[in-house]
Amino acid sequence: MAIAQFVVNGLLVGALFAAVAVGFALIWGVVDIINLAHGEMVMLGGYTAYWLLSIVTGTAEGSVLLFLATIPVVVGVLFVVGYALQRTLVSRVIGTDIFLTLLVTFGISIAIQQLAIQVWTANPRSIQVAFADPSMNLAGLVVPKMKLVAFAGAIVLTAILYLFLQRTRTGRAIRAVSQNPEAAALVGIDVEHTRAVTFGISSAVAGGAGAFIATILNIQPQMGLIYTLKSFVIVVFGGVGSIPGALTGGLLLGAVEELTAGLVSSQWTLAVSFTLLIVLLVVKPKGLFGTGADNEH
Amino acid sequence: MSTDPDTGGLLRSIFPPQQLDRLFDLCGAHGWKLIAASAVVGALPPVFGLREGYMMTVLSEMFLFAILALSWDIVGGQTGYPSFGNMAFFGIGGYATAILVKDAAVSFPIAMVGAVVAVLVFAAINGLIVLRLRGHYFAIATLGILLATQQVTRNLDITGGASGKILFDVPPGIVFYYFFLVVLVVEMAVIYYLTQTRFGFILNAIRDDEGKATAMGFNTTYYKTAAWMLAALFTGLAGSAYGLFNTFLDPQTAYNGAWNVELIAMALMGGTGTVAGPVIGAFGLHTIIEYVESSFVGWQLVLLGIAIIVTVIRFPKGVVGTLRAHANEMDYYERGGMAATEDEEVTTDE
Repeated sequence: MAIAQFVVNGLLVGALFAAVAVGFALIWGVVDIINLAHGEMVMLGGYTAYWLLSIVTGTAEGSVLLFLATIPVVVGVLFVVGYALQRTLVSRVIGTDIFLTLLVTFGISIAIQQLAIQVWTANPRSIQVAFADPSMNLAGLVVPKMKLVAFAGAIVLTAILYLFLQRTRTGRAIRAVSQNPEAAALVGIDVEHTRAVTFGISSAVAGGAGAFIATILNIQPQMGLIYTLKSFVIVVFGGVGSIPGALTGGLLLGAVEELTAGLVSSQWTLAVSFTLLIVLLVVKPKGLFGTGADNEH
Repeated sequence: MSTDPDTGGLLRSIFPPQQLDRLFDLCGAHGWKLIAASAVVGALPPVFGLREGYMMTVLSEMFLFAILALSWDIVGGQTGYPSFGNMAFFGIGGYATAILVKDAAVSFPIAMVGAVVAVLVFAAINGLIVLRLRGHYFAIATLGILLATQQVTRNLDITGGASGKILFDVPPGIVFYYFFLVVLVVEMAVIYYLTQTRFGFILNAIRDDEGKATAMGFNTTYYKTAAWMLAALFTGLAGSAYGLFNTFLDPQTAYNGAWNVELIAMALMGGTGTVAGPVIGAFGLHTIIEYVESSFVGWQLVLLGIAIIVTVIRFPKGVVGTLRAHANEMDYYERGGMAATEDEEVTTDE
């Protein structure tokens, strides 16, 4: 039974990892950039929700509805941040050496992270949601209500992104740019704008996930890198450009981490995740669901 | 869309291209003498009485960073595999030495040999795995290895866990000053020598087009792993001495995340794929970081992040690369289009 409990915990958190990773995968697929500042979007999303609640209620506590009401604002703010980053900085290195693209996003990541420490101190914070206790009990498994809300929120964010890409005109433009930027430009798509929108919505979804993370785990300025790396593990597992793959990867990573934490010790989760990453990269570099992320560049 | 810096006018008035070109030729012709001269200059300060104190530490750290940046450049710049996990070698070297000196009561020189062996074994094993990957995958895999190594170190008993290891009875600072200087000079000499050999050319061929290098019959895995182990050797040596130099090691300092970025930034700003570039970058950036660290506490990494962004966008070739390109700009008119591009490929020592 303990194992079932660990798996349930893992799946609940894993959905959040997946929501973060989906945006990472989208930027990778469409803009062809590994965004090492992606985790910082999660962090900024968490802080935006935290400060919104603090301003409204005076403390970082609130009812579920009040918390959920902050999500659209968080998504909007992070969209602007992502759009601006792509337009002003990242767009300047697209098409150059991979190393340079990595370094630019790494530079952005460090600058945002350290600014956050200066502004908000390095103390971990979390959002307290009123009904967090007591937990629900389902067939002998303990399920904290807030984790369930966060799980549902993450799934909804991912689903909205998926539908956006599949059903809307902008979504089609994004997929077109991902397949062939030149051809997309020839049929009249503004490639630069589309890439910036991609960056924006990816950051927005990551930020939304960050707000949920602030309620069930905690947020602090240096949390970003771990989420970036987790996203990478998930995308490698699921394959670049595959949203169902990223979702499966996220849930699986969550389960693996919780199992490691429960059966061995929480100190070993990172080591296990990255060992898994290395093994996956070597054994199955295109991911289990990938449609062919090329391993050359 | 590499934005070529529009600083030609300013540069041209300070350094006329022809004279700069002549200077580069001169440096190229007298590389060995330059390395020997820099060794002598580096050895002088203690002779003139600088034996301890703040400046001594700062100079030692400059040599240390130059070693790290130059080691990174063997694989990152010369071979085209940008690693984001070089500090793993540093940490393992440091911890192996600390454990041998403290727990096994071995003398420092012997402990260092043990540490180098440990680092080389580690590099050989992970090199064979991660060097099969390219581009993004390689970069992130090395970063993953660094974080995993750090966490393993934090969890083990033999390393002292999160509280680390305190080392007593360490040699005086002057020993480390000369140690770092000697390692740096040897490393510069080794890399300078290699850039003139078949081995060095093959590394550059791998960087420029690994497919073609393989097609020409080179066992690229062998060359990549050798370069990787060479980088690990020097980084591990630096780490080995650093534990004693600092008298303290914990997972946070031994696998310092900020240094991990700084050493890449140093190689980038100085100019990747050259011998002089990473050294110049290390001296320059460390001076700036030391200044910011003492004057604006807490802001040094914000500045570093911004500096990296600006360098990547405006001067992706770094100091040496930008000057080199500038020196060659007249070649196009003097000797035709091919000459200018040919010259840019040649790695030089300054």
